[in-house]
Amino acid sequence: MTQLFRKTLLSASVSLAALIAAQAATAQEAVFVMATNEVGAPTYNPIKATMLNTATGLLFDRLVSQAADLSYHPWLAESWEEAPDGMAWTFKLKQGVTFHNGEPFNAETVKAWIELFKTTEGENGYMAEAIASAEVVDEYTVKFVMSRPEPNLLYNLSSTFMGVVEPKSFAALGDNYGVTEVYGTGPFKLESFAIGQETVLVRNEGYTWGPEVAANHGPAKVERLTFREIPEDSTAFLELKTGGVDFLLSVPADLMGEVQKEANLAVLTMPGQDVWYMPINVTKAPFDDIRVREAAAKAINQEEILASVFGGVGAVADTFLISALPESHVPDGAKIHYDPARSNALLDEAGWAMGEGGVRMKDGQPLKVTLWTQSDSIFRRLTEVVQAQLKAVGIEAEITTFDSSTIRDQYKTGEQQLAVRSYNWDNADIVDWFFGGDRLGYPNVSMFNDPKAEELRAAAMTGARNMDERIANFTAYHEYVLTQFPMAPIYQPVQAMAYNTDRIALPEKIDAPAFGAAAFLDLQVKE
Amino acid sequence: MIAPLRAFRHPQGGLAGCWLILVIAAALAAPLLTPYAYDVQNLPQAYQPASAQHWLGTDEFGRDLLTRLIYGARTSLSVSATAISISVLCGMVLGAAAAWFGGWLDRTVTMVVDLSWSFPEILIALILVAIIGPGTTGVMIAIAVAYIAQFTRLTRAQIMTLKGETFIEAARSLGAGNAHILFRHLLPNALAPVLVSAMLATGDAIILEATLGFFGLGAQPPVPSWGGMMSAGSALVFKAPWVIIFPGLAVAVTVVAINLYGDALITELDIRSRLRSGA
Repeated sequence: MTQLFRKTLLSASVSLAALIAAQAATAQEAVFVMATNEVGAPTYNPIKATMLNTATGLLFDRLVSQAADLSYHPWLAESWEEAPDGMAWTFKLKQGVTFHNGEPFNAETVKAWIELFKTTEGENGYMAEAIASAEVVDEYTVKFVMSRPEPNLLYNLSSTFMGVVEPKSFAALGDNYGVTEVYGTGPFKLESFAIGQETVLVRNEGYTWGPEVAANHGPAKVERLTFREIPEDSTAFLELKTGGVDFLLSVPADLMGEVQKEANLAVLTMPGQDVWYMPINVTKAPFDDIRVREAAAKAINQEEILASVFGGVGAVADTFLISALPESHVPDGAKIHYDPARSNALLDEAGWAMGEGGVRMKDGQPLKVTLWTQSDSIFRRLTEVVQAQLKAVGIEAEITTFDSSTIRDQYKTGEQQLAVRSYNWDNADIVDWFFGGDRLGYPNVSMFNDPKAEELRAAAMTGARNMDERIANFTAYHEYVLTQFPMAPIYQPVQAMAYNTDRIALPEKIDAPAFGAAAFLDLQVKE
Repeated sequence: MIAPLRAFRHPQGGLAGCWLILVIAAALAAPLLTPYAYDVQNLPQAYQPASAQHWLGTDEFGRDLLTRLIYGARTSLSVSATAISISVLCGMVLGAAAAWFGGWLDRTVTMVVDLSWSFPEILIALILVAIIGPGTTGVMIAIAVAYIAQFTRLTRAQIMTLKGETFIEAARSLGAGNAHILFRHLLPNALAPVLVSAMLATGDAIILEATLGFFGLGAQPPVPSWGGMMSAGSALVFKAPWVIIFPGLAVAVTVVAINLYGDALITELDIRSRLRSGA
């Protein structure tokens, strides 16, 4: 009898303990849904990739971190000093930092990592282009000898593209680095990655070197993170609503109301870093005529789009840059606003006379162009409004829809005329990225290659000795690009995210420009 | 009375037939039936539920949903019917040639057809659209190719059984050529089952067209198609459920109607056994 009672008690306590353990285990996991514009990132290789998603910032630490006010703070570098002439930077590195594969982090690895930017083929070399060489001063001090002053160096060093990779495994793994295996010093390690589907990260238990902008400098509070890639916003929202996922890293404006209707869901907004725009291929007739480009650009009614497609959340875009950047402050004349009278006058002047059915004609040819978009519903909806707005001035645009993950390859063919797309970046050098004459097709969807622009671009990218000069040069470059109408700005959203308040406890303050490593270090899962 | 009319005497067949006539008539007379244009946006009027002005409400661009549904019927019906016609034509030629001439031609055709038969139609259509590119023409060709196997096999089976009949032997002994026998004697006799199965396949083709449209591969905006409308509606399920419900109903009811009417027709023509021999 006693024996039996004991056994029962024992088994009961064992199962109770198991239950508690199981609960603890599940409580430390969270499922995130990647922002829809980050779906399909093919690799976690920051040196080669042209697109990196949010999880990349958790695998790799940067030398410096950036706060919400865009100021720079220590991370893997404890302190730094710029030579008065801007021709050298010295970084003191944190001690005791190790990579996920056990390799130590020190001045030697920083030097080897900087060299990777020079020796690896790809688009990202410009990130470290101004660094002529990296010299090891002592084990934890590294000096960057510059080929020219680079006021933007700290920004570059804080960007995900300059996440510090482990150089030995990088060399050994080749193209597999970032796909099958990846080693950084970040707060999370890669457990599995299925391109376009799911990434699973596990906590780096030995992590003690969090960025200064985070409250928690030790290991992350969540043990395991799953990032799912769901291209369709409403599907992602349903998953959140039914408890399948805990957090959506992007929520479109028209679903924000639905999120707020649910008692256990909440919206988190941060200042936006996206610009939605319509690239115009300057090499394809009729857009090789600047008048037709200006007419198309000024046919876009940004206010109407903001109100009807985005429910009034966010702001209109009238330049290529987010308005938080000083380089976006170009003279009013260069800003691109809706002006249908000007559009119509320009098209008349260019010889496109209004024909039957509201489509303009010239030499017996209708003004018919292609308008590319990607398959996410919000893009398709916006594109249909753009199509109707173009039609209002007599431009007939035929929509072609491509899968979000294949459209970049399509752009590389250079066959596009008009497109609707968006980018996410918070530095003026994005003008160089999307309009640089040596990146035609993609990223330069507009196929824009203009000698004067290239001159201004060189001055902006490499000609500035300090931040004020850089801002002035970039403003001039940006202004000139705008006056050539290689695109029409449309809309600037806010970064809106949604999460389950029963599951996720957000940090009180996210002192970063985006929801990245700092936020993930401080984030907690409830119960 | 001819069989298609006799099919109306069946209660289900009659009801289904009436619905089909209604849909086809609406599609043909679209501009006369509605005061709205299918492509003119009226953004302040977006997301209106059903009302006296807009019987089925408006979509996310303030366009009248009923108008788009009627014009969508044009796209869906014309694309599926054209595709199946192409498919039937090619399938009959291939099947008849294979059955009549036999030998290596028969073996090759049968092999290719059996091979493509082993893939679902949607897969073949998706691959083809990916190659040709999105748009109504691409979808039409893709659906046509996807269904060729079915009609080739059916025609071949019909011709094979007819081939040995006495009247064919008689025609041949009277000195009739291959073409004469094929086009005057064999194909007309094989026609009824093929046409009925073409009709049933049209129902499947409407679903296939809607599926491709749902993926954004069919008719490109602003041209409406039922699949495309459902796709746009899927993002609005919470905000404006009618945008997805009505085109979905249209597809479902039309396909069911085609099947019911087809069934009645099969009974009237008494060809059930002959249809089975092909599949």
